[in-house]
Amino acid sequence: MDLHHMKMAIDTMAASDLSEMELSHEGWTLRLVRHAAAASVPASVKTLTSPRQQAAPTASVCEIQAPVFGIVHLQASPGQPPFVQVGEHVQVGQTVCTIEAMKVFNEVACEHAGRVVAVHVVTGTEVEAGQVLVVVEQGAHV
Amino acid sequence: MFDTVLIANRGEIALRILRACRTLGLRTVLVYSEADRHAPYLPLADQALCIGPAAPRQSYLKQSAILAAATVSGAQAIHPGYGFLSENAEFVTQVEQAGLRFIGPSAACIRLMGDKVSAKHAMRAAGVPCVPGPDTSLPDDPQQVLAIANDIGYPVIVKAAGGGGGRGMRVVHERAQLLSALSVTREEAARAFGNPEVYIEKFLLHPRHVEIQILADQHGHAVWLGSRDCSLQRRHQKVIEEAPAPHISPALLAQLSERCVQACLSIGYSGVGTFEFLYEEGAFYFIEMNTRLQVEHPVTELTTGIDIVEQQIRMARGEPLTIRQTDVQCHGHALECRINAEDPKSFLPSPGEITAWRLPGGWGVRVDTHAQKGYRVPPYYDAMVGKLIVHGVDREDALRRMRAALDEMQVGGISTNLPLHRELMVDAGFAEGGVDIHYLERWLKESAFA
Repeated sequence: MDLHHMKMAIDTMAASDLSEMELSHEGWTLRLVRHAAAASVPASVKTLTSPRQQAAPTASVCEIQAPVFGIVHLQASPGQPPFVQVGEHVQVGQTVCTIEAMKVFNEVACEHAGRVVAVHVVTGTEVEAGQVLVVVEQGAHV
Repeated sequence: MFDTVLIANRGEIALRILRACRTLGLRTVLVYSEADRHAPYLPLADQALCIGPAAPRQSYLKQSAILAAATVSGAQAIHPGYGFLSENAEFVTQVEQAGLRFIGPSAACIRLMGDKVSAKHAMRAAGVPCVPGPDTSLPDDPQQVLAIANDIGYPVIVKAAGGGGGRGMRVVHERAQLLSALSVTREEAARAFGNPEVYIEKFLLHPRHVEIQILADQHGHAVWLGSRDCSLQRRHQKVIEEAPAPHISPALLAQLSERCVQACLSIGYSGVGTFEFLYEEGAFYFIEMNTRLQVEHPVTELTTGIDIVEQQIRMARGEPLTIRQTDVQCHGHALECRINAEDPKSFLPSPGEITAWRLPGGWGVRVDTHAQKGYRVPPYYDAMVGKLIVHGVDREDALRRMRAALDEMQVGGISTNLPLHRELMVDAGFAEGGVDIHYLERWLKESAFA
């Protein structure tokens, strides 16, 4: 599943009256959820189609992957602000999310400084080891 | 009398209970969370019902969902297994109010033993040896607290009445640290257990963990099935267990076990239960009673030849125990290794798909597991994927069999603690037997393995 497929799925959903859609293909699962108050495009995956992402990549892009299979959490606890947000500048060693496995929370940190261009996962969902969680554009200063 | 049992648990213990029910000709109902919907043991049940999402709070701990599952499936009894709702007195009350049978002791007994202060009081009254220190919670007056600690003698341990299983405790080595330790423990206890009550005891420096298995029916008859040693622990989690406890005189253990049986009768206990003790320099000190089936019950089954889960269900059905104390014999020695899905060195959990799975077998080898090749170990629950249990004519024979079984066992796709078990089985200290509860953590710090 690549960005093109994801965009197709998002557009299909946006054009429909579906509130939730799940697609599985070759080991990938894409789950789209429409929030009542949100715009037609689900907020959680909105960043995938941001114009900047689609523009020719000039800066190098670093994908942060899940170190283990588990449940991803984008904030320290429910109600708290997310560890990182799209557009935010991140430092080396900064926590971007945690992966919960068997009651242990593993922190996932940035290996490179840069700007967050995409968050590919939704809090509370399962992620595979090696799955891309967050994309950071290196050397892209705001 | 019930003929359908709902098993309110998951994993290896759900399968263990299911097998006991089938042996007894009982219908079985399994409940499962969405994360366990592909669990390989589900098709073995007469009926399987999904009770909610993966998070334990929304499924295996959700009392209303489990009770509803019992109603729609026609189950008349609920077996809680271990963990989850097994020691929840409130749940027992709910089950009984729904007109169902809880396979375990009464809510009153669970409540009595769940509060560590009331448990200690009851045990002391029944003549069970306890750790030096009062069997009442601490007074508010700091001077009185200091005086109590002086009487006991340092080091002391401050414990939460609502704690247990290694949670809510703090060791104090000298007088100057006591009052601050006390207030921190009180605060933690209030937050973690909803009960700020704390008590203090003598802190033993090099104890072993020795426990006694009891069966008690509803007709005032109880027997003990011998001892287990579970001293090999890491962060209060047992790693290896054995039966009987090595290098302790059988006469001393028999005397202690007899006290436990009398204590059960005096509090009106029925079902299976375990009295946990610290053992140091020839003396036993009661720490807590587990009012449920335990993970390590198989080592006692192998040495006594008694199916503990079958007996538990029979007693819950109201059958009188047919086993007399004189029938209970301890044959040979049994060892159990808990096989966890975790890195053997860093202990980081390792859920995921099992791509290779070879189990050991042969004389005296038993594997209790729900896993198989292709099974995906979910990230939501305990890391234990199985238990490897062996029985030998004596401890040395059991060690030999365990070494061979561990070498034979292979698991791929996930990391397991098999390499740690293999190392421990050839460790001179463990082979000698009778190590204390700090041995494994010391060993991990000092050995080349870590």
